[in-house]
Amino acid sequence: MAKSKKEIISIKSVSKIYNLGETVVKALDNVSLSIYDNDYISIMGPSGSGKSTLMNIIGCLDVPTKGKYKFKNELISEMDDNQLANIRNEKIGFVFQTFNLLPKLNAMQNVEVPLIYSSLGRKERLERAEEALHIVGLQDRMTHKPNELSGGQRQRVAIARALVNKPSIILADEPTGNLDSKSGNEILKFFSKLHKDGNTIIMVTHEESVAKLSKRRIDIFDGKIVRDE
Amino acid sequence: MGKLLEMNNFFKNIIIGLFSVRSNLTRVILTASGLTIGIFTVSIVSAAVSSIDKEFAKSMDYYGNDKVYVGTWPWSFDFDWWKYRNRPKIEESSLEYITQYSEYITDVSIKKNTWTRATYGNKASWLQLNGVYPSYQDMLSGTKIENGRFFSQNEWDLQRRVIIVGGTVREGFFQGKDPIGKKIRLNNVTFEIIGELKKQGIGMVPGGTLDNLVILPSTTFERILTRWGYDELVLQTNPQDIPLAKEEVGMIMRVARKIPPGDDDNFAVNSADAYMEQFNTMKSAIAGMGFLVTGISLVVSAIGIMNVMFVSVRERTREIGLRKAMGATNFNILTQFLSEAVAIAIIGGSVGIALIRLTVFGLASFPIPNFNGATLPISFDLLLVFYTFTVCVFIGILAGLIPARTAANLNPIDALRDE
Repeated sequence: MAKSKKEIISIKSVSKIYNLGETVVKALDNVSLSIYDNDYISIMGPSGSGKSTLMNIIGCLDVPTKGKYKFKNELISEMDDNQLANIRNEKIGFVFQTFNLLPKLNAMQNVEVPLIYSSLGRKERLERAEEALHIVGLQDRMTHKPNELSGGQRQRVAIARALVNKPSIILADEPTGNLDSKSGNEILKFFSKLHKDGNTIIMVTHEESVAKLSKRRIDIFDGKIVRDE
Repeated sequence: MGKLLEMNNFFKNIIIGLFSVRSNLTRVILTASGLTIGIFTVSIVSAAVSSIDKEFAKSMDYYGNDKVYVGTWPWSFDFDWWKYRNRPKIEESSLEYITQYSEYITDVSIKKNTWTRATYGNKASWLQLNGVYPSYQDMLSGTKIENGRFFSQNEWDLQRRVIIVGGTVREGFFQGKDPIGKKIRLNNVTFEIIGELKKQGIGMVPGGTLDNLVILPSTTFERILTRWGYDELVLQTNPQDIPLAKEEVGMIMRVARKIPPGDDDNFAVNSADAYMEQFNTMKSAIAGMGFLVTGISLVVSAIGIMNVMFVSVRERTREIGLRKAMGATNFNILTQFLSEAVAIAIIGGSVGIALIRLTVFGLASFPIPNFNGATLPISFDLLLVFYTFTVCVFIGILAGLIPARTAANLNPIDALRDE
């Protein structure tokens, strides 16, 4: 089914090895993976399986020790810090388990953060941030600080922040982990909607119920992909 | 265009840095106060040194840059009293040798010095008296006759009791009215005021103020004011001839006093430039101490800022991680934290400048009465503000560099995981 779609991410024989003094940890062991446009993937695995490492590499926060990682035909695995920062800024939207909103900024300013590191002017930044908050339905909470928002609302601000740069992929790390089930379901519904609107979503989770909602499921164990369907 | 965007980015990061200053204002102000003290002292020290300089130059005018003085004592801040106390008094007769043999000296006068009690009605004051020749009129330096006239040769010959007074006499004795023609008593002898000198303000050198001065014929001085005092020879020359004139006068004096070769001089040939040299040594000592203290306080405040910046980086590790995940480059983060440090430094410096401003203002509104209405000499100018900001930016960058580099080099993954 995926063959006809455009490939965004191509990971070939990627390994990540951590050298912790005496011991050598193979967090990722010869992993190959392709991600296509408008995929909705959940990555599952127990803690220590290497799913966070895979996530960090896909998110361009880290580079592999071995292997090739191409993002839209750009060779990420050879890039330096500044180039990685630019890729993150332009192509990737992050959603974290703990939201990671800056407590002293209001919703609008939080959403604006990624745009500050782009080349947009102030007027356009504000327009984009407003637009993103509209998409997540928080247009009437724009001047609220994170501590004046509920958990679900905070995560929606974080999603707006991930969307604001119009990224190629959205990376969500346990996005419902810190939410009650009601807000969690709302967020998941929202991800489904984003997927329908044409976004590519990659979600790390350890909950079966969450993973079921995605269209493709990847299981990782001991640094190897053990299931991809 | 690309350059412009980069600049834009640069300023955005500075603004982020400034925002975090605002959100930690108490801490920032406490940290900055170290620098405030440093900037304040450095300004006071430099203002004091430059003011001392100015006042000293004014005092030096009294001695003139074209005169050589022969006296018992050398003009020096570290004289040895025991060595000079037994020297013979300066004799007026030496002047004859000097006028006869000197090539460089164009005019001469005796200057007999003493202090005496002056009275007018029920008012009394201590005034400095100079008994001189009529030729001294052309040798007056640092002041001039503003009102009235100098005494004449005739008055000198006849030992007339006429005096020329300094600028304070008018206010002290006559409530600001014209003193010419008035009679005051010096050492219980009545003198008539025939001239008045221009008012000078405070001086720095002992005996260096012209405002408490009374000039009278040396003949009158000798006849009436026989109390203790000392004599000096005042010798007129050209400024460029001072070193040669001093050497020459020294030799003539030795001949006049019949000092055998190999013996030490028992007199001193002085000039203002020698005094200046002494003064410069003292001034550099004051400045050196001041700047040492200031330097230490600046270093201490830089360490304080560095410490606060480390705390700030530690506290905001997650924020740094997040910003990096959102696409901030190392340089973005570096700029953000550096501008925070510089902002703290500038806040400290600005408060320091405000304090100086207040001090200057305060001193100007309360003139010190005993200093003849002069205010304490601290100047305040834009150059000082400029220097202060330069120093602050420098200290901010110096203090912020290591913490900001630490922040910039954080690994985003570890930073995001920070609790």
